[in-house]
Amino acid sequence: MTNQAQKQVLIAARDVNKIFENGCHALKNVSLDIHRGEVVVIIGPSGSGKSTFLRTLNQLETISSGHIKIDGIDLVDKNTNINKLREEVGMVFQSFNLFPHKTALGNVMLAPLKVLKRDKAEVEQEAKDLLYRVGLHDRMQSYPSRLSGGQQQRVAIARSLAMKPKALLFDEPTSALDPEMVGEVLDVMKGLAKEGMTMVVVTHEMGFAREVADRVVFMEEGELVLEESPERFFNSEHPRLQRFLGQVL
Amino acid sequence: MQTPSNRWLGHGLYLVIMAALIAGIYFSGQKINYTWHWERLWPYVINTEPQDIIAQTDGTAVVSASGQLSITPDYGGAPQVVPDYDKLVARDGDLIFQGDTIARIEGWRFGPIAEGLWVTIEISFLSLIFSILLGVVFGLMRVAHGQVWRNLAVTYVEIIRGTPLLVQIFIVYFFIGTVFDLDRFTAGVAALSIFTGAYVAEIVRGGIQSVPPGQMEAARSLGMNYAQAMAYVVMPQAIKRTLPPLAGQFINLIKDSSLVSVISITDLTKAGREVVSGSFAPFEVWFTVAALYLVVTGGLSWAIQRLEKRLAASD
Ligand SMILES: Nc1ncnc2c1ncn2[C@@H]1O[C@H](COP(=O)(O)OP(=O)(O)OP(=O)(O)O)[C@@H](O)[C@H]1O
Ligand SMILES: [Mg+2]
Repeated sequence: MTNQAQKQVLIAARDVNKIFENGCHALKNVSLDIHRGEVVVIIGPSGSGKSTFLRTLNQLETISSGHIKIDGIDLVDKNTNINKLREEVGMVFQSFNLFPHKTALGNVMLAPLKVLKRDKAEVEQEAKDLLYRVGLHDRMQSYPSRLSGGQQQRVAIARSLAMKPKALLFDEPTSALDPEMVGEVLDVMKGLAKEGMTMVVVTHEMGFAREVADRVVFMEEGELVLEESPERFFNSEHPRLQRFLGQVL
Repeated sequence: MQTPSNRWLGHGLYLVIMAALIAGIYFSGQKINYTWHWERLWPYVINTEPQDIIAQTDGTAVVSASGQLSITPDYGGAPQVVPDYDKLVARDGDLIFQGDTIARIEGWRFGPIAEGLWVTIEISFLSLIFSILLGVVFGLMRVAHGQVWRNLAVTYVEIIRGTPLLVQIFIVYFFIGTVFDLDRFTAGVAALSIFTGAYVAEIVRGGIQSVPPGQMEAARSLGMNYAQAMAYVVMPQAIKRTLPPLAGQFINLIKDSSLVSVISITDLTKAGREVVSGSFAPFEVWFTVAALYLVVTGGLSWAIQRLEKRLAASD
């Protein structure tokens, strides 16, 4: 992170609060900057608000107060075209959420065709390249029900990439996978990180955090407790973090 | 586990029971001294007899140079013009008395039962299309974010499901039909569409809600707006799930269409009633009418099953 361009802030969250209709205060004054090309890993116990925070970043969840800026554009601003912003921030879900009525190729092609209204032949070529990149060139015509969890998640990643997003959000992308499939998905993610994709990853894979993350963030009870480089993070003496790591490791 | 021999035994037993049932119908007919006249029914389905065209007044036959036949009444008034015929019986200048045969139409024509069947198919088909439109619109309103839409949809569904179809037909015909000057046929189609649309709306709502919310979220996070996500992601999956209940609803629609005969639409049921009084063969007529309904509903079931198979490709 010596390059000046990499220091540019892509996603800026300021004093974000989220209170659900049932009164649950899921995010408490969360502030976080994510720079272009950076990989930020978020960890924390269940119910700490990690998913909620990710979902506010592409407006699947509205925020109660505070500001979120994506590439300088305020999400809370009434004039902001939320659909346009969502194109720029892709999301990969724990449960894959592939479209079951479309083949792997169809899943990847749908959004560029319908949202960007691009030329079909061009989109198809790009989609094939993307599936090739995630190692699924031989499963393009398969429906999701015929794919393993790891394969489905890789299709989901390719699907997000097809919109050429500026950033990708991952919400526990490997938590629903059998252990032997975790590696193939993490490998794809590592490849993306190496290519300079901006990524925010909620995960329990400490190895991934150590190896790939530029920064690791610890959340608990809706608060952003700690934000450090991996080396310092995993050697931190912070009592709340110690308690959590003691539980998972 | 079912063994093959067991299955054949089952089929055989089934045939025996069915034969017994049919024999039962036949013998109960005999018991009340009913003589079956299936041949009487035929002309009411397809009429192959030449049709006589009858003079309506006393007068003089006039055949024009182009061959058009008309009767000029003796005591003034408009002439009776015969638009179409195959064979002339009267010749130019003949004196004609009321009731004389003046010309014949040859070849076959559909009888009232076939025409009634056609009306039933027409009404059912049009109502099916409109009920799908209504059902999809109100089904989408039912799951919309705006409270106004949801309230409107609930009101529609509850009112329609809470009142009898027969009453709705009368209201549409006598009230709405009078206000908007609708003919019987339109009123019938409107009543059936509105009625079936309410049930379709509930089926569509159920279908949409059965699609996991993650599908909508995935579509939205790819930049689709609500309408695109609905159209390309949620609805295609919802429709697949709604096909079986929709099939049942549309079969009901075909059967319910028999109720429009109360506003004097000559559908299959009304045609049956009329033919019974002309043919004196009530059993044959009603069995035939029932069989024809069965053919139409069976055809629809078959078509929907085909569609289901095609959509099952991704399972
Ligand atoms: N739609 C909702 N309505 C009300 N409360 C919610 C809703 N979604 C989440 N919450 C609450 O917000 C809090 C944070 O939830 P969140 O899903 O963000 O946690 P998480 O850190 O992702 O946990 P996990 O590791 O289990 O995924 C929890 O207390 C949860 O019960
Ligand atoms: Mg979560």
